[in-house]
Amino acid sequence: MSPYESVIADWLHRCNRCGTCKYIFRDYGPSCPSGEQYRFESYFASGRISIARALTTGEIDWQESLLKPTFACTECGACQIQCMAPHREHIVEMIEELRSLVVDKLGPLPPHRAIAESISRKHNPYEATHHNREIVQQLNLPDKADTVLFLGCTSNYKETSVRDATLSVLKKAGINFTVVDEYCCGSPLLRTGQRAFARQAAEHNLEAFEKAGAERVITSCAGCYRTLSKDYKKLGFDLDIDLLHSVQLVNELLTEKKLKVTQQGSIGRVTYHDPCHLGRHMGVYEEPRQMLGVLPVEFVEMHPNEKNAWCCGAGGGVKSSFPELAQATAAIRLGHARAVNADILVSACPFCKRNLSDANQGQVAKVLDIVELVDLAT
Amino acid sequence: MTTVSLKQKLISIVGEQYVSDGLAEKYVYSFDMTENPPKRPAMVVMPESVQQLQQIVRIANKDRVPLVPFVTGQNIGGLTIPQVDDAVTVDLKRMNKIVEVDDEAMYAVVEPGVTFGHLRKYLDEHNPSLTYTYPLAPPYTSVLANALLQGLCDLSTMRGAMGDFINGLEAILPTGEIVRAGSAIMGDGNWFGRYPLPDLVGLFSGWQGMSGFVTKIAVQLWPKKQFTRHAALFTFGEVPTTELLKRIARAQLIDDADCMSLSIVKMLLGVSPPVQVYGGEPDYGTLLTLSGNIEKEADAKYELIETFVEDARKNESRQLLVDWDAISRMLGDQAKSWVDFPSDAFKVLTEYDGLTWVGTYIHPKHWGEALSGGRKIVEKYGFELMAYLKPMNSMHFGEFKFIIRFPKDDATVEKVRHCNEELLDFALSLKALPYKTPVWAAKKLQQNADPGFVELLKRIRKTLDPNGIMNPGRWGL
Repeated sequence: MSPYESVIADWLHRCNRCGTCKYIFRDYGPSCPSGEQYRFESYFASGRISIARALTTGEIDWQESLLKPTFACTECGACQIQCMAPHREHIVEMIEELRSLVVDKLGPLPPHRAIAESISRKHNPYEATHHNREIVQQLNLPDKADTVLFLGCTSNYKETSVRDATLSVLKKAGINFTVVDEYCCGSPLLRTGQRAFARQAAEHNLEAFEKAGAERVITSCAGCYRTLSKDYKKLGFDLDIDLLHSVQLVNELLTEKKLKVTQQGSIGRVTYHDPCHLGRHMGVYEEPRQMLGVLPVEFVEMHPNEKNAWCCGAGGGVKSSFPELAQATAAIRLGHARAVNADILVSACPFCKRNLSDANQGQVAKVLDIVELVDLAT
Repeated sequence: MTTVSLKQKLISIVGEQYVSDGLAEKYVYSFDMTENPPKRPAMVVMPESVQQLQQIVRIANKDRVPLVPFVTGQNIGGLTIPQVDDAVTVDLKRMNKIVEVDDEAMYAVVEPGVTFGHLRKYLDEHNPSLTYTYPLAPPYTSVLANALLQGLCDLSTMRGAMGDFINGLEAILPTGEIVRAGSAIMGDGNWFGRYPLPDLVGLFSGWQGMSGFVTKIAVQLWPKKQFTRHAALFTFGEVPTTELLKRIARAQLIDDADCMSLSIVKMLLGVSPPVQVYGGEPDYGTLLTLSGNIEKEADAKYELIETFVEDARKNESRQLLVDWDAISRMLGDQAKSWVDFPSDAFKVLTEYDGLTWVGTYIHPKHWGEALSGGRKIVEKYGFELMAYLKPMNSMHFGEFKFIIRFPKDDATVEKVRHCNEELLDFALSLKALPYKTPVWAAKKLQQNADPGFVELLKRIRKTLDPNGIMNPGRWGL
C-alpha cells in the first residue's frame, strides 16, 4: 500500500484559479519560473492543479501532451508562498502526486527514467562510480561517530568543491564525524514521480546512519536536507536523529568561535541565493545571512529574496528534462545578482551552484557555495 | 481549414512555443471558476504584439475561425469560455506593456496583459502622485478587461463603473484593420478623453470581445489625496441600510462604500465556512472610504456622516458607525487588507474551486427591495449569505450582487445554477441590468429588453464582423 495519502483528493475542490500564485504579493514581480517561461495557464500552479483534478475525476484522459505541463516545473514552492487559498500548503505535494499518477500511467520522462536507473545501479543519479568509502579511508574517518556528514550526490560527484569545503570546515572545527555508505537520498525520484524506488534508498540510508551510531546528520545539500527531514517522515520512517543543513551547524560554529575567520581583507561583494529546498521548503533563511555577516565580505541582498526568492531553475527534474527552462530561470536569477553589482553569488545547495554556474555568462564573477566561502575565510 | 494547417499558420506568426493544441491547454482554457458550462477550444495562441494579433485576426477572418479573447480568465461570468466548436482562444497576457502614463492629463495607456498589480507598482515607482482604481478581485486581473466589462471598483461610489474611466482605445476589427477611438485619433501622447466625438468607445465597451480585440486602452488616473480616512458602518435591515447609503453617497462625502453581508466580514476575520449570522448581529458591514486634501476636510466629511448615522438611528437605533482605529484593533492585519487595494481580501472568495455571482446595476428606488428579495432566494437555497452592494456614481444607480462560493461537484453546480437563475429573474423583474453577463443571463436579459436594442446589437455586430469570428455565441448572439 502506498504510504502517501492523496492530497489531490483532499483538496479536489479548492483552487479557483484566482491567479494569486503567479506573482509576489504586493511586489507584483513574477513568482513562477515555469509560468513565466511558457506563459500558458497550464504552466502555473493553478493549471497543474486543474489537470490533477481533471485526471482524478476522469474529465480528461491520459495523454502524452500532459507530460510537459506536468513536469516542466521546478517545484520551487513559490506558488505556495503567494497562494492564500486553503490548499496553499499542499500545492507542491499535489504536483508531486500528479507526477506520480502520470508516471504510473504514461511512464517517466526518458531523462528521469535514466536517473532512476542510475540510482538503482550506482546509487547516484549521475552514472558515477559509487565511492563514499574511499573518502573515509582518504580522510581517515572513524567507522562510527555521533555526527554523520551526508555528502549528497551532486556534491560528491559533480560539485566536488562543495564536498571538499564541507569536509575541510568540519575538520577545522574539530567535529568528530564520519561519512557512511550513503545512497542517493531519493529526492530526484520523489520530485519526478518515481516514488517506488525512493523507499529503498531511505531504508538503506537510515540503516547506514544507525550502523554509524549517528545522533545527528549534516548535509550541505538543500535537496537532501529537505528529503531527509520531510520526505522520509512521509514515507513512514521515524527518524530519531537531528538533521541539520550545514549552514545551521557552521553558523553555530562561527558564532561560538569554534571556527575562526582568518582571511584578511574583503573576499568581495557577495549576494545570497536562497535555495528553494532550504528556504521555502524548510524555512531556513537567517543562518546563511548571519554567516555572511561574520565573513569578510560585503554582503548585499538581491531581490526577490528569502521566501519570495526566484528559483535557480534546477530542481524538480527540470535540469535534466527541460534545459531551456533551467537555463532561462537561472539567467533571471543571475540578473538579480547583477542588478546589485555582486561579484560573487553564493548559495547553500550544490545543485543551485551547478545550474547557476552553467548559466552564468559573466553576470557575476563567481558562483560559490556558502561553505566554500567559509572554507576560504577560515 | 484543418486544425493542422491552422496551427502551422499560427506558429508561423507567434512561434511554436506560443501555440498549443495540447490536452492540458485545451482543458485549462475550457472553464472558469463559475458554474457556466465548459467548452474546449481547438487551440490556444499567445501573440506578443499588435502586429502578431492583427495577422491572427486576418487569418481567422479569411478562414472563418472563431476567436475568443482571454487575459486572465477571472471575470466571474464564463466570458472566456468558447461557445462554439473549433474556436481558438487568444491569450493576450504577453501583450503587457504600459505604453504611456501622462502625469498632466492623468491617464495611462496599457495593453491587455497589464494587471492592476502591475499598474500600481508602476505608478508607485514612476508617478507616485497618481493612483488608479482597483476592483474586488485578485491583484492580477486585467486593467483593460475590467474597464471594457464596465466593472466596479474602489472609486465607483464617487465616479461610476470602470467603463466610464476609458479615455480611448485602439482595436483590431474582426476584418483586421487597426482603429482608434477617442482623442488619440489625433496621434500618440494625446489620450485625454472621448469627447467631443462620436463615441466609438461604445463599439467595444461592454461587448465582451464580440466586436474586435482592444489592443490598447487609455484609462483615467486620479490624484492621490493627502488624507484618507476609513470607517465601518454596521447596519440592520435591507431598506434602512440602502437608504442610509443613498444619503451618504448623494452628499458626495465618500470615495467609496463597500457594503457586504456580515458573513463576509466574518470571513475576513477568519471564520471557517459555512459562515452563519446569528440573531442580534448586524445584517451588513460597510467599509467607508473618504479623503481630503487637508485633514480637516476628511474630518469634516466624517462628522457629516456621523450626523447622517445619528439621524438613521431615530428609525433603527442599532445602526452604528465605527472609526477605523477600533476596526484595526478588531481585525488586525486584515484591516489593512480590506483598505489597501489591490488587496488580499479576495482570499475569502477562494475557499472552493467554484465562485459565482449574479451582479446587477439597478435604479436606486429598487435597491433595497432587490437586496431583500435576493437575500430570501439565497437563504432558500441554503448558501452562505454573501451580498455585496455599492452606491454607484454618487448614487445615480446602485449595484448589488449575491456571491456564492461553492465546491464544483455536480449536485452543487446544479443548485447554484437554479439559485442564480432565480436571482436574475428577480433582478430583471426590477429592471436591473446584469453586468459581466454570462450567456445564459444575456439571453434572459434580451427576453426582457427592448427588441430594438437587440436588433441594433446584431446589426452593428454584422457590420463589424461579417464572418462572425469574434467570440461567436457570446451574449447569445
